[in-house]
Amino acid sequence: MSGNDRNIFELIQFKLFLVFASGLIIFKFFFISSDSILFKAVNDLLILLTVSFLFISLITYIRNKKSSSLSLIMNIGILNAFLFFLITFSGWIISLFFENAYDKINNPGLASTIISLICVSLIVVFSIYIFVALRHLFLLRQSGNLLIYFNTMLVFFVIAAVASNYFNSRGLLFISDAFFIVSILLMLINSLRISWIAFLTKKEKVTLLFLSVVISVLFIVNAGNTGNNSSISHILLSFSKPLNIFITLILIYGAIYFGMLFFTTLFHIPTAEAFDRKAEEVSSLQYFSKLITQVLDFDDLAETVTDITARLSGANAAWIIWNENDQFNSIANKNIGFVDSTLLNKYVIDKIDWQNLNETVFIKLNDFEDNAKLTQQIKTMAVSPLKAHGKVKGLMIAAHKDERKFTEEAKNAIDTFSDYASVAIENSTLLEESIEKERLEKELDVAREIQRKILPAENPNYEGLEISSVFIPAFEVGGDYYDFFEISDSKLGFVIADVSGKGISAALIMAEVKGIFESLSKTIERPREILIKANEILNKTLDERTFVSAVYGLINFDKMELIISRAGHCPALLLRGESAINVQPVGLGLGLSNTIYFKETLEETKIKLQENDTIVLYTDGITEAKNSKLEDFGARYFTEILIGNSDKTADEISNKVIKEVTVFSKDHSQYDDITLVIFKWKYKNNFDGEKAWQNSVHQL
Amino acid sequence: MAEFSTSIIEKEGVSIIYLNGYLDAHTAPALEDNFTKLIDKNKFKIAVNFTGLEYISSAGLGVFMAYIEKIRDNKGDIKLTNMNEKVFNIFDLLGFPLLYEIFKTEEEAIAKFNKGKSIGNE
Repeated sequence: MSGNDRNIFELIQFKLFLVFASGLIIFKFFFISSDSILFKAVNDLLILLTVSFLFISLITYIRNKKSSSLSLIMNIGILNAFLFFLITFSGWIISLFFENAYDKINNPGLASTIISLICVSLIVVFSIYIFVALRHLFLLRQSGNLLIYFNTMLVFFVIAAVASNYFNSRGLLFISDAFFIVSILLMLINSLRISWIAFLTKKEKVTLLFLSVVISVLFIVNAGNTGNNSSISHILLSFSKPLNIFITLILIYGAIYFGMLFFTTLFHIPTAEAFDRKAEEVSSLQYFSKLITQVLDFDDLAETVTDITARLSGANAAWIIWNENDQFNSIANKNIGFVDSTLLNKYVIDKIDWQNLNETVFIKLNDFEDNAKLTQQIKTMAVSPLKAHGKVKGLMIAAHKDERKFTEEAKNAIDTFSDYASVAIENSTLLEESIEKERLEKELDVAREIQRKILPAENPNYEGLEISSVFIPAFEVGGDYYDFFEISDSKLGFVIADVSGKGISAALIMAEVKGIFESLSKTIERPREILIKANEILNKTLDERTFVSAVYGLINFDKMELIISRAGHCPALLLRGESAINVQPVGLGLGLSNTIYFKETLEETKIKLQENDTIVLYTDGITEAKNSKLEDFGARYFTEILIGNSDKTADEISNKVIKEVTVFSKDHSQYDDITLVIFKWKYKNNFDGEKAWQNSVHQL
Repeated sequence: MAEFSTSIIEKEGVSIIYLNGYLDAHTAPALEDNFTKLIDKNKFKIAVNFTGLEYISSAGLGVFMAYIEKIRDNKGDIKLTNMNEKVFNIFDLLGFPLLYEIFKTEEEAIAKFNKGKSIGNE
């Protein structure tokens, strides 16, 4: 809204200017100059209003243009040149049209009125534009409200101008003279406010030096011409005396301002370079903070580092030699081709002990043999270490084309900066690593979630059978799987399996394995048949190096027997009385061999169950659990614990085992999943003394 | 985890890979490189000496499965030697003795290779 309001306001200003300007022109056409006070008053009032609104409109125009100081000065110069031509040649142009120019000016006809009107309009517009531009320069880089100084001067300009017209009797002339002199004093004071030139670069200062001398001379000539008895002063005078004085004042102010500008610039030139460098350092300091935010992208960071290096040292070229697996590559090249930098890299790496580099060193390329191969000549180089994790990971290079040495300041700046850059690079690599770590952790979270959903939520309930199951996942997800299949009231199938490998791939294979056993257990009862089918399927789907070890068993409550088949898995343990028997029928891991060979070698064991028989199934996470000395928990110790607790309930036994494993491996992280499933047979039966278990002969 | 390293020595036309340290999912690629290089050089008679091997995980076992088919297709073989009891038990549980010839010493493995060769040639 406020923007809109301002636009409307600006438009009104401009329209008012047009209204008063046309009023003035009409007035000028209808009334030939006369000496009556009324005429002068109306004339001057119209001019004052026109010029005021022109002034205000131009202020907004220049403010909106937002041009730099130098382009403003160029504008002033160009307008001055126009003014110069106008002022110098207007008398001559008019004399072309009219024989007696002076006569025409004093007694103008229509044609001469039009021409003089055009001349005056152009002069007014140009000089007011110049005045507004000067006002803009005056306000540049100033703090505090200094407008009052400028406005005071403006008021004195106006008073001096107006007074000249109304206090022109001999006795009162001093009034306008006094205002004129005060105006000039104010000009001098206001011309001192030119601190903005300090912020120009050396190149700009040199340009300004030449511009200011030319413009200053133009101002003096123009001011002299308008003030003098020239034809233009006659035209202006006949138009309005105050206007003539006002324009002359503006031109004098311009001359003083640019004269001052010239001298100040002249004195600034010797220190310009040092000032430039300091300014560069300051702006580079701002870049340092940029480094911190750029650690997210290593390439961006490298670009910034070389950019700042080049700025700080005033070098012609800069790049980074980055060590990646003992390959030295150029990255983030500034002003140098990769062919050149690669040649130089080789030289640098051979020449200096880069691994132990602690500060910036300077190299002269006197003995650089491939110099002729370079597309641009490099004579000196500054080499600084970039360290990450205490090791030199890269070298920051700044190179000069000429023999010129790097200054002490440049060395200090590069040294400091390479420290900053090292920190930024170290942060960047750390961040990259932690992002990668987080990604892996997320992946493992997914894997653990899959595993959790695959494993049975609770154990089945069968009369006369205690079932206990414990599963402890490893951080990396080991791929353990166990399941129960309640085939009927009198038949319970179960499986325990371990997928090779870890993480999400193992978890996905687990899911497949669950699907296979779940569906096979619905159609096939014999464990051996199920494993043969499972191998057939997995051999097709698993890649060569992946396999699954498994034990599948079927408990028949009517026959009071257990049939077990094993595919490469840890043996089942049968605890009976004081002994533990390894139930280890022959069988290859699933996915290791083709169906024929797998079937040929796979055995099956049948066990007649007796009261308090305990069947223990486990994965190698238990036997391979390690202590701080990297010793295994071991099958022997495991068996001892089982025998020692075989008279307890299934739950008590598994608690005891898990407790022992936990205590044993408390100083070592759990590397693999731990799965333990224990069945305890509680029925009494009539098979005492009979051979309790036997291997069935495998069928061909 | 402890480091893992390998070395290869040629003996009587048989390439013997010596394993040292821990062979698991992280170190398995190093062993895979050895097999790939030997296969690239058309050396298909390979014995793997387990003397220095302290531990092998399921992922480590998988490496042997990955190349056996190609090697046997080229009338070669991977034979395993000098396993300690613990490592042998791991292989044994999975049924590897059914798939691979496992010898007590590498000389036996070399002898087996060369016997097979002489039979094949004559």
